[in-house]
This record gives sequence, structure tokens and C-alpha cells, in this order.
Amino acid sequence: MQVLLIGGFDIARTLAASLLSKKYRVTAIHPDYDCCKQLADIKGLQVIHGDGSKPFILEEAGARRTDIAIALTDSDADNLVICELCKKRFGVTKTVSVIKNAENTAFFRQMGVDAVVCATNTITGIIEQLAFVHDMTALVPVGDGRVSIAEVSIPEGAPAADKKLWEISLPREVIVGCILRKDQTLIPRGDTRILAGDSLVLLSSAHQETDAIRALTGR
Amino acid sequence: MELFKKGKKESGAYTMIIGCGRLGASLANALSDQEASVAVVDKDERAFRKLDASYGGLTLTGDATDITVLRSAEIERADTVVSVTNDDNTNIMVAQIARNVYHIPNVICRLYDPEREIVYREFGIDTICPTVLSTREIDRLLGKAKGEKKA
Repeated sequence: MQVLLIGGFDIARTLAASLLSKKYRVTAIHPDYDCCKQLADIKGLQVIHGDGSKPFILEEAGARRTDIAIALTDSDADNLVICELCKKRFGVTKTVSVIKNAENTAFFRQMGVDAVVCATNTITGIIEQLAFVHDMTALVPVGDGRVSIAEVSIPEGAPAADKKLWEISLPREVIVGCILRKDQTLIPRGDTRILAGDSLVLLSSAHQETDAIRALTGR
Repeated sequence: MELFKKGKKESGAYTMIIGCGRLGASLANALSDQEASVAVVDKDERAFRKLDASYGGLTLTGDATDITVLRSAEIERADTVVSVTNDDNTNIMVAQIARNVYHIPNVICRLYDPEREIVYREFGIDTICPTVLSTREIDRLLGKAKGEKKA
């Protein structure tokens, strides 16, 4: 599998190292010569110096043989053009773009970009989660953030501890999909009893997870 | 911001120009002289100094690849969008937003690099490429010079 990373120094570096360790073939394109030199220190990474939104640079970086192209520059316009060139001109199977302005997500998708990640929104989401929601260990947004999967631990004395699932009033749009108890994984039914120390995996839509967590842990 | 002369806003075509460089500004001035309804968007406020004192259209400071900026300039009302910033990729993106999201009938986009053609060709976006235009014109002048020599 051949992956092409365009722009975005820090993310490109981390991503390249991670992908190479998973045995992908990785090429990085960067417009800054010094950044290229640093990228070239990563063993096994092929580095091309130039503007990745120029077709001849993409050609040189082997875009024709690429399966996945990931545009990481800090300009939304550059990323859009890079993805479009990769797809239309070089037949890359999957294009991924980072964007700054979340409002552009739908438009990027409409223009044929396969996956769109808004870095600012994602980071803000994580910061909010870590800073304000204490009892959640993980929150994974799916379906463009319309649905989220959250892992919640039940402390001693929480409203949900020692209760059967049907005795707890959860918001309508939330279900407990799974209970993690020590080494066990339980798929709960209405009469399953929740114990202190359990971790619950919640599936919730329409941002109901905060209400659900309050109902379960009392916070 | 009622910069339009009275009654002009409702009648006639509305042209939106993205990028107030030499080309954008001279186009805006010309349209304004013809009493047409026109708006110019540029991310740098100082760019608007290139507009004539008599310029009667709208100016808007902001990044045109931000859909909110385009919306505040009422892009949905435009008959023509001309994207002439100094960045090809910005021009392509603005042109595609105008064409594919707002279905603007006339979209014109300036590109310095003709190599990126494939990206916009299928969308019915008209493009002008200074390099191609200059080559053609120089070629024509050379041909003329040769012709004169022969004659």
C-alpha cells in the first residue's frame, strides 16, 4: 500500500513514522527545504521537495502508484486542489484532507474528497472533553459527529451502581451497548445489574451523552 | 453598508469579484463606471485603495474560501463570479464553490498555471491563463512582424 503525505510538517512526521512501522510505503511532499531534510531523517521515508498542488511534483512523488493521498497543508484551497488532482488526474483511490474551516466539510465531500478532518474542531472537542467531562475516558464521534461512542466508568456510590439497567432513566437517544467488568465483556439487557467499577460503553445521538453520564454517575 | 446607488441593487446583473489586485480592481472600476452592481472581496483591506474614488460598489474584507464571507457578500444573488486572487488554488476553490454550491451561471477564474486544468474543466468554469494569452499574443505580434518584413 502506497501512501502520499502532502504538507503539514508535524502531523506528516508522526503519521509517516506510524505508517512506516505498519509496513506501508510512504512518500512525503513538503515545500520547505529544511523541513524536507528533517523528514528525510525518518528511515524509509521518501521525501520530495516542492509544492504538492503542482501536478509535476505529484507525478514525481509517484502519485500514479498511490493508493491513499493525505493533504495536510494549512491552506484549505491547497488541500482541495491536491485531493482533486490526485483523484482526477492520477487516479488515487482514496483522498483525505485536513481542513481549517469546518464549514467547508460538506463542500469538500461534494467535490469528491473521501474523508475530511477538521483539525480545529477535533482538537477543541478533545480539549472540552478532557477539561469538562471528568468521568468519560473516551469519546469517539461517528457519522460526522451526529453519533458518539463514549466510555464511562461507574464510581462507588454513583446513582447507577447496583441498579438494573431498566431502573435508570437514560435519555431516549442513548443506549448502553456494552459493560466492561474486569476481564469480562457483557452485552446488557434490561435486567442486567450495573456494579461500581464497571465501565459502560454508551452509544448516543444528538449530543445526549452528557445527560446520560449525569444520570449514570451523578456528575 | 448601503454603498450602492439607489435602485441599482434590484435591477440588472450583480457581479462579484474575488481579489482586489490590479486585474480585480480595474474590472471593478470598469463595471462600476458602467453603473453595474458589483462587489469586491479581498482579505487585505489595503487592497481596496486601488479602487477609483468614484467606485460605487461594495467592498468586503475577508477570506473568500470561507463560505460565510461569500454568503455575507450575497453570493447567491450573483450572476457572475470572477475569481482573480494571486493564488491559483484559492481561485479554483472559490470558482468551484460558486459553481457547485451556489450554481452561479457565469464563473470566471484566473489561473497562472495551466497545468491544473483537469481540476476545473468538467465543472464548466471559464478560465483565463495569462501565460497562454501572452504566448498567443506574442506569437501573433511575431507573425505580424514577419509578415511586414516579407511585404
